[in-house]
Amino acid sequence: MTTALTLTTGQDPDGVAVLTAAGEIDMSNAETFAAALVEAVPPSGRPLVVDLTAVEYLDSAGLAALFHHAERIEVVTGPLLSPLLTISGLADLTTVRTR
Amino acid sequence: MNDVFAADAEVGRDLDAVDWEATPLGPPEGWPQSLRTAVSILLSSRFSMWMAWGPELTFFCNAAYRRDTLGEKYPWALGRPAREVWAEIWNDIGPRIQNVLDTGQATWDQSLLLFLERSGYSEESYHTFSYSPLRDDDGTLVGMLCVVSEETDRVIAERRMATLRDLGSDPSVIRTERETLTFAARQLEKNRRDLPFTLTYLYDEDGRPRLRSSTGIAADHPLTATFDGGEGLVALAGPDLPTGAWPEPPRQALVVPLAADGFFVAGLNRYRPLNDSYRGFVELTAAHVAAGVASARSYQAQERRAEELAELDRAKTMFFSNISHEFRTPLTLIMGPLDELRTRLDGAGQEIRDELEVMHRNGLRLGKLVNALLDFSRLEAGRMQARYEPVDLAATTAELASVFRSAVERAGLTFDVDCPPLPEPVLVDRGMWEKVVLNLLSNALKFTFDGGIRVAVRAGDGFAVVTVADSGIGVSAEEMPRLFERFHRIGDARSRSNEGSGIGLAMVKELVGLHHGTVTADSTPGTGTTFTIRLPFGAAHLPADAVVPAREATTVSATAEPFLAEAARWLPGDTPIDAPPPARLAGNAADVLVADDNADMRDYLTRLLRSAGHRVTAVADGRQALDAVRAQPPDLVVSDVMMPWMTGLELLGELRRDSRTAGVPVLLLSARAGEEASIEGLEAGADDYLFKPFSAAELLARVRANVELARLRNRHARWRTALVDSLQEAFFVCDEDGAVIEINAAFTDMIGFGPEDLPYAPVHPWWPDQSTDAEAYAQVQEAFELLMQRRQGDYTIPVRHRDGHQLWVAAAFNHVRDPDSGRRVIVGTFRDVTDEHYAIQRETALASLSLRLSDAEDLGDALGGALDELRGLWQASYVVAVVFDSVGKPALTATDPSVTWANLPQERLLALRDRPALTPLGERDGGAGITLEHPQGTMVVWIEPSARRPFTEQDRTLLALLAGHLGQGLRRVHRIDQQRETALALQRAILGPAQLPAGFAVRYEPATRPLKVGGDWYDTIPLPDGKIGIVVGDCVGHGLQAATVMGQLRSACRAVLLQDPSPARALAALDRFAALLPGASCATVFCGVLDPGNGQLRYSAAGHPPPIVALADGATHLLDQGRGRPIAIRPDDPRDEATYELPPRTTLLLYTDGLVERRRQPLTAGIDEAVTAVRLGRRTPIEDLATEVMASLAPTGGYDDDVALLLYRQPGPLELEFPAESTRLAPVRTALRGWLERCGVDPVIAQNVLVAAGEACANAIEHGHRDLTGGLIRLRAAVTADALRLIVTDSGRWRSPQPGDNPHRGRGIMLMRAFMGEVTITTGNAGTIIEMQTEIAS
Repeated sequence: MTTALTLTTGQDPDGVAVLTAAGEIDMSNAETFAAALVEAVPPSGRPLVVDLTAVEYLDSAGLAALFHHAERIEVVTGPLLSPLLTISGLADLTTVRTR
Repeated sequence: MNDVFAADAEVGRDLDAVDWEATPLGPPEGWPQSLRTAVSILLSSRFSMWMAWGPELTFFCNAAYRRDTLGEKYPWALGRPAREVWAEIWNDIGPRIQNVLDTGQATWDQSLLLFLERSGYSEESYHTFSYSPLRDDDGTLVGMLCVVSEETDRVIAERRMATLRDLGSDPSVIRTERETLTFAARQLEKNRRDLPFTLTYLYDEDGRPRLRSSTGIAADHPLTATFDGGEGLVALAGPDLPTGAWPEPPRQALVVPLAADGFFVAGLNRYRPLNDSYRGFVELTAAHVAAGVASARSYQAQERRAEELAELDRAKTMFFSNISHEFRTPLTLIMGPLDELRTRLDGAGQEIRDELEVMHRNGLRLGKLVNALLDFSRLEAGRMQARYEPVDLAATTAELASVFRSAVERAGLTFDVDCPPLPEPVLVDRGMWEKVVLNLLSNALKFTFDGGIRVAVRAGDGFAVVTVADSGIGVSAEEMPRLFERFHRIGDARSRSNEGSGIGLAMVKELVGLHHGTVTADSTPGTGTTFTIRLPFGAAHLPADAVVPAREATTVSATAEPFLAEAARWLPGDTPIDAPPPARLAGNAADVLVADDNADMRDYLTRLLRSAGHRVTAVADGRQALDAVRAQPPDLVVSDVMMPWMTGLELLGELRRDSRTAGVPVLLLSARAGEEASIEGLEAGADDYLFKPFSAAELLARVRANVELARLRNRHARWRTALVDSLQEAFFVCDEDGAVIEINAAFTDMIGFGPEDLPYAPVHPWWPDQSTDAEAYAQVQEAFELLMQRRQGDYTIPVRHRDGHQLWVAAAFNHVRDPDSGRRVIVGTFRDVTDEHYAIQRETALASLSLRLSDAEDLGDALGGALDELRGLWQASYVVAVVFDSVGKPALTATDPSVTWANLPQERLLALRDRPALTPLGERDGGAGITLEHPQGTMVVWIEPSARRPFTEQDRTLLALLAGHLGQGLRRVHRIDQQRETALALQRAILGPAQLPAGFAVRYEPATRPLKVGGDWYDTIPLPDGKIGIVVGDCVGHGLQAATVMGQLRSACRAVLLQDPSPARALAALDRFAALLPGASCATVFCGVLDPGNGQLRYSAAGHPPPIVALADGATHLLDQGRGRPIAIRPDDPRDEATYELPPRTTLLLYTDGLVERRRQPLTAGIDEAVTAVRLGRRTPIEDLATEVMASLAPTGGYDDDVALLLYRQPGPLELEFPAESTRLAPVRTALRGWLERCGVDPVIAQNVLVAAGEACANAIEHGHRDLTGGLIRLRAAVTADALRLIVTDSGRWRSPQPGDNPHRGRGIMLMRAFMGEVTITTGNAGTIIEMQTEIAS
């Protein structure tokens, strides 16, 4: 049984690609998350928006996937994960917006 | 024979023959083990023992006791009541025995006087004994064991010795007869036990006895008139006889003669037999009185004689001072006729001619001495008239020298005369020059033993130089300045003769001086001496009127003859006198040794003494005299003072220094008159002193007097020897170096070393062996130092008998000055205290063994302690006990943990196992063992010896005694053990839950130790819906009784709560239950039901002090709602119930009043203290807090009531265990999230904790268990008021991040450190532990 995680790929009103995750990301499903990132990053070179607002838990395995694409993504998160993204240093490499 | 009596065949048989059925003990088959043990110890011991057992104190004894004490009462006494056996002394010993039975304390009596009826009469006897309690199998006092040493002989011997010693302690030497008798009477008066009365009779002038002294009886008592001499035992009868120190008067008296002077009557102690020792004592006493009387009488006689001698001496001195000038006339009148006689009797018999020769020689010698003295006095007075004539000095000197040639050559020396003619004559007085040369030559011959003598004449610058050189002994540098001093004689010089006046060289110097010449001496000790004379040529220096023309040269004058005659007597060829002694042998003939270097004097003395009937041995010097005396001590030594090799004074010193010869009387003869010389002689210890010349009669009188005195003195010496030998104590005398130089018979009896090997130099042969018994050796060495350094003292040491067995002696010593030699000696005694020593050792060992056994917590502890005792006692290298159970399997207990069955002497142990119990087996150096019954089987105790302490016969007895005691002790401890184990099992059953739910901590301390339960209790009961019942209660009282009530209440409470989880109803049910249970009424109980999920607590209290809660922010409350009366008071009334919501991180304390109750303080004060303790401890983990509260509230001296305490903190810790799989992370997070919520932690911190915990778990899964499957991970989270603590444990091996590892792992650790205040990672073989802690807002 893997941890509950829902991944949705779409576009925002400006036509930017968005990967929306909901649930928890830990080492049991980090690979799924990483694969979805690879899939969702557009070939055009435009950034991918990763929306983590509905993620309740993210561990270092999930962070590792984000770090891997840090230059190609923008992260949107809620107050729960914001300290984690700052402390891990991801916020220094990529744009993190907190809602 | 019943085997309980098997240890002694003879006494055992008689014991077996006793009709035991008729005694309260019944037949031996039915005796308890403790009695059987005691009897077999008794019978196997060689120490004198008896014991009493049971209601009538039935009597048992062993062979030693039978022999020493019981006497004719054996075997009648066996099995009888002790009161009957010892009826005559029951008044003395009964109360002591009763005391032992009442208190269990052993008694100790030393030298107690008891009148025993064991030999057919009432006998004075002394016993040192100890009564020890005996217990039966249940530990009840049922009898006593008595270990006895009879000390009658010692006590009586000491008493008699004291009397003899006091008699000999007369401080003043000089006494009249009356004083002597008064002194003796005073001493005898002190010992009225051995001498109830005494009478001393002396014969008066007409031979009738007259009572001169009495003790213990009036001088006019009718009995005193009934004695008129005789000897031996006299039966006494008549009224009003004195009793001395006793209740009854003596039956007999002993009459002992006092030499020829009278007799002595001693009334005898009726309570002691008149044996050799008693008779010897009375005789020695009489001998002392006799010696005192004799010495008083002889002193008076001597005093008279001394006055007569002094008168004689004064006359003699006057005579000598007058006659010297008158010598020459009679000498001339002697020598003239003598020469004539020699011519006339030339044809007479050899004997006559020999006598004439002696007379002639000594006449010449005397003439020479007188002439020298007269010359000298004339020189001194300046009246010497010299006549100087021109002389051919070379020729004259050579001629003078030649007359000595034959004497020099007879002495085996070379003689070299080298006198070439001088250029001119020298003016000399011929007669004087002869004396100069002859004196120098005579001197040279006297002191030269090897080599030769050389005479030379030379011409010097204005002088004629004459030298006389020898290769003799020489003169030491310090003697040189005094060489020419008149009358100075060089001390200790080795010479051919000690004859000489000491004026020869002085005269040479004076004579040369008259010639205005000089004489000098040049000498090297051991090489020789050269005298050099310088005489001036010419006449200018001499008074003209004294110079005469040269006369016809004459041959050497008569001056030379005495010199030559004298020299001839020094040389070999002198025949010793060995004429047979005259036939006349008087009764007082003595062996006399004569020492004189002058052969004529020696011969003269020999003839003189032989003529008086003495046996004479003659020697020529002090050295020979010393050898002769040492070989065979004579009755008297007559010695000249001045002798070569060793002077008379030195001889005297040597004789006095040696104890074997110190008593030989010495009469010194000297030619040197004068006060000073005689004092010197007497101070050196001469018995008498005579000056030459002396008359034959005077010499003989002195010899006779000295021999008689010596015999008298020897009688004293014999008396002293008898006294010393009669001592019961071993007696010894040591010299200054510690060598034993004298011992008595008792010493030999005690230690085995006899007088034949004296002296015994230290280390004495009776010292323990240093290599096998180092400790005893050191002890003796220390004592020896004490002996040498202290003036007096005493000590107790082990010594080794000549036959090898060890004994203990108590020594007492004193430093005294030996009156004969004047040297310091050490006089001491040994008393054999072996029995006392071992008795004390036994008592001490038994006492400490008992203490160990009574202190023991359990059987193993008891045995271990006992083995330690045994090891200490014997200083063994180890002691081991092997218990063989029913199948023969050995179980070891050893003082040394490295001892195993494999490295033990198994064969010997197995052999021991099969021996009868309590019969020790031991060799001197080979270890010792014994078998006894252990509650779990047969036990063999083995003592492995160390080199320090050999194993003796006494050790075997002691071991048997201790083993018997140990066996009984172990049985007792075993029984107590069983009781205790039962009690502990019961206690564990009633105390409380073995496992507590999470979040609880409890403490229990009973007021009564060693009980582990009391009237208080706590309980937690898991209820079916996840809730927890919490109960704390307190029954009335404490101790075992309260504990039984508590156990039932606790169980009842448990049962009702399980059935109906309502606190109030539970207490109500308890009310009804307790009403039926005696002692349960009035118990107080707090009962609660806790929902750990939300912290809700429903509770009800029955008279119980209110629980305390401390919130995370430090606020506190008392749970004082829901109160009601104590249990079973009005059991039908309903009870209230209250609810309290425990906020997160609240600490709850339940307790009993023992925690807070203080004397003289209101209960609330104690509760306030507890509130403070909980408030301050709200940040402390719950288990630590429990310890803190117990410690901080404990009154000084500890709790004096039972205390039960229960702590809980909401929520309880989270404890999870899950497989190391990543899929388990999400449920773990859920559980942790819920727990964090119950802890009231804010969401941000909760998220941080979740991440940190998640990373720790992820690491454990990834690293800890990468290579394993099925491993488990444990997570524990606990909270205090302000902190949260997480521990994640895995069973794998944590690895530090390494290059090439997935980089996000390193990030995981970084995240843990970022979110938690403290992170510690500990990696070990068993796995990795991550501990994390973080503060949380309160």
